[in-house]
Amino acid sequence: MEEEDEEARALLAGGAARDGRDSPAAPRPLPALCDPGRLAHRIVVLLLMCFLGFGGYFCYDNPAALQTQIKRDMRVNTTKFMLLYAWYSWPNVVLCFFGGFLIDRVFGKRWGTIIFSCFVCIGQVVFALGGIFNAFWLMEFGRFVFGIGGESLAVAQNTYAVSWFKGKELNLVFGLQLSMARIGSTVNMNLMGWLYSKMEASLGSAGPTTLGVTLMIGGITCILSLICALVLAYLDQRAERILHKEQGKTGEVIKLTDVKDFSLPLWLIFVICVCYYVAVFPFIGLGNIVYVISAPMSPVFGLLVDKTGKNVIWVLCAVVTTLVSHMMLAFTMWNPWIAMCLLGLSYSLLACALWPMVAFVVPEHQLGTAYGFMQSIQNLGLAIISIVAGMILDTRGYLFLEVFFIACVSLSLLSVVLLYLVDRAQGGNLNYSAKQREEMKLSHTE
Amino acid sequence: MCGCGQQCWGWGNCAASPMLLLSLLLSTAPFALRGEDTRQVSLEVIPGWPDTPQNLLHVRAVGTNSTLHYVWGTLGPPAVVLVATNTPHSTLSVNWSHLLSPEPDGGLMVLPKDSIQFSSALIFTRLLEFDSTNVSDTAAKAPGKPYPPYSLAKFSWNNITDSLDPTTLTATFQGHPMNDATRAFVNGSLAFRVQAFSRSSRPAQSPRLLHTADTCQLEVTLVGASPRGNRSLFGLEVATLGRGPDCPLVQEQHSIDDEYAPAVFQLDQLLWGSLPTGFVQWRPVAYSQQQRGRESALPGHASPLHPTLAYSLPQSPIVRAFFGPQNNFCAFNVTFGTSTGPGYWDQHYLSWSMLVGVGSPPADALSPLVLGIMAVALGAPGLILLGGGLFLLLRHKRPLEYESIN
Repeated sequence: MEEEDEEARALLAGGAARDGRDSPAAPRPLPALCDPGRLAHRIVVLLLMCFLGFGGYFCYDNPAALQTQIKRDMRVNTTKFMLLYAWYSWPNVVLCFFGGFLIDRVFGKRWGTIIFSCFVCIGQVVFALGGIFNAFWLMEFGRFVFGIGGESLAVAQNTYAVSWFKGKELNLVFGLQLSMARIGSTVNMNLMGWLYSKMEASLGSAGPTTLGVTLMIGGITCILSLICALVLAYLDQRAERILHKEQGKTGEVIKLTDVKDFSLPLWLIFVICVCYYVAVFPFIGLGNIVYVISAPMSPVFGLLVDKTGKNVIWVLCAVVTTLVSHMMLAFTMWNPWIAMCLLGLSYSLLACALWPMVAFVVPEHQLGTAYGFMQSIQNLGLAIISIVAGMILDTRGYLFLEVFFIACVSLSLLSVVLLYLVDRAQGGNLNYSAKQREEMKLSHTE
Repeated sequence: MCGCGQQCWGWGNCAASPMLLLSLLLSTAPFALRGEDTRQVSLEVIPGWPDTPQNLLHVRAVGTNSTLHYVWGTLGPPAVVLVATNTPHSTLSVNWSHLLSPEPDGGLMVLPKDSIQFSSALIFTRLLEFDSTNVSDTAAKAPGKPYPPYSLAKFSWNNITDSLDPTTLTATFQGHPMNDATRAFVNGSLAFRVQAFSRSSRPAQSPRLLHTADTCQLEVTLVGASPRGNRSLFGLEVATLGRGPDCPLVQEQHSIDDEYAPAVFQLDQLLWGSLPTGFVQWRPVAYSQQQRGRESALPGHASPLHPTLAYSLPQSPIVRAFFGPQNNFCAFNVTFGTSTGPGYWDQHYLSWSMLVGVGSPPADALSPLVLGIMAVALGAPGLILLGGGLFLLLRHKRPLEYESIN
């Protein structure tokens, strides 16, 4: 529409200064850094998006980094300690779906991000206060509030990423977000213990107060994330104004019943996600090697998938590699490091190639809900698997547990194959190469 | 890597060759050692003199072409004499006056003598105890500082007639030290539970050793005895008759399969000669709770067999009665647990199982459930891909059938 106007004006006015497609209403072009259509500005936004999630990922693993200190200072055993994680995971089986829905229907991604960042901050503060007041129930409540914000913030992050990077560097962005998650966790593991000992030295003794103060200092990262959320909201609003993005909107609003209208490829993507993470999650927590590999490799793979396209084939490669590494763990006595390295690589590849696919099969106004639903069932799968894995291990041993994981990955593989076939049969665009997507984009704008 | 030098089985290309060799050996083996699928098993307590505790058990497993005799007794230390004959009509003859005399030679005989194809014995000589404090987990195999061991020859045993169960083919020998100066066994006992089998199957409780009609299972249980330290590790000294100059080896078989004993990937075996022969088989694990599970598993370690002179071991009249005076014994220790983790100190309970038998030792294989799941898990995606690919190919071919008009 705007291009037609522009052409008409140019023809009539006899070639007035063409500013490109950036800002037909503005009198002069903006510097690259401030221009929402240009790569430099998108990089700034990308940095903000990465640090948006950093606070959440940093504080999520605070309990693990301070496990001995918490157990000693709050005088709890391992089972009670694990409740700090349970209070995050179990509510999120349901909450992030509603979070995604609220982002789509009520708040919009800008306000949604700010609100959920606030929840993350408040949750971490309450968690720290639980330490200062020596009340474990308050810590659990703090983790619950933190959880309301944390997972839904991830959904908002995904929605932002699609909005800014769809059709451009979306896979790279998802890869970078995964990197930041790993970096956040690693920094947390290395920093918090040291911070605690410093606090202990300066306050004079260990104890719940020291713990609370340490956690409060860790909460500064959440404030940082909140600031990023505010800046991002401003930049997003500005970009919408400059690029006239509202004209692209269809004016449709999501309803809760739209969930049953999700397309078959989307349901298959959900199945792939759940079955895959169920088989990989126990190893993500276990081996440091998977973290260490996925942090640098995720952006690399993201770039690779951006340049070549063909997401479904990449997902297929990742799932097959995971299957091979599980078979190595189960049926050979080779050094497990080899299998774990393979697992790290395939996990990074899958994360970059799978999550952006949702953007191709879901219209923009349903994106938050779709991502929220995906996170919800992922959380459900992970929560159930921690119980089931323990049961299998006690009754049937490690080999059977590995065979169970292989069965899960195989189900994921089956879904990928079905996704490929359904997509081909329906003539969908999930497996387009990068060149085909460019052509499609150009043909849409002609 | 699993090379053919170490005994591995299950997946891997080593699985084929030992089985082939085994079947070749078995076809040339004497009848008694070939193994039978089912046997008629009878347990009898050999009556001794009236006012002494009855503690001599004869297990007779009769097959179509062979008989296995297990003579379990606690005259002296607990011991078992294992005899395989090539006729279903062999019998055991016991002369009590010989047996209870200072020179019991000839007190125990299996007749006819020329039908005996294999005979050997196992003696459980001492109950060992070690103090494992100040021992790091990664230290070499030493379990800790040893306390003075309990000699099992100086235990007094119960009357096994009460514990004999003909339906499950079990009998239990229960004992405690005769002279319990430290009062460690006031509420405790050491029990040897013997179970015979008439066919192959696998028990429901860990370590779920696969038994055949050619084997007998022994379960050693220490219950309620007070340990002499806070972190005491217990063990057992086991002796056997040496055959030839060298002692037999304890073979460790590593496998990827822990379906039957979670987190235990090893099976230990003692072979008295080259296959087929008598064998002792066990998993290097003991359990510290009655509900045997992964959390109560104590890793076991067996020392290599070393030659021992007769005088340094508690003597077993049963073994001497059958084999005559012997001087070359081989002994080894099995100890359980580490200084950290579960241990005897949790519930004052320790249980270890082993199999003793003749023929080819039972081998574990992947269960059909695992194989089935793997077949479906690997086959289904492949088939769907193939099928779907073909379908798409055929669909795309059809437009070509239309001939262009022009």
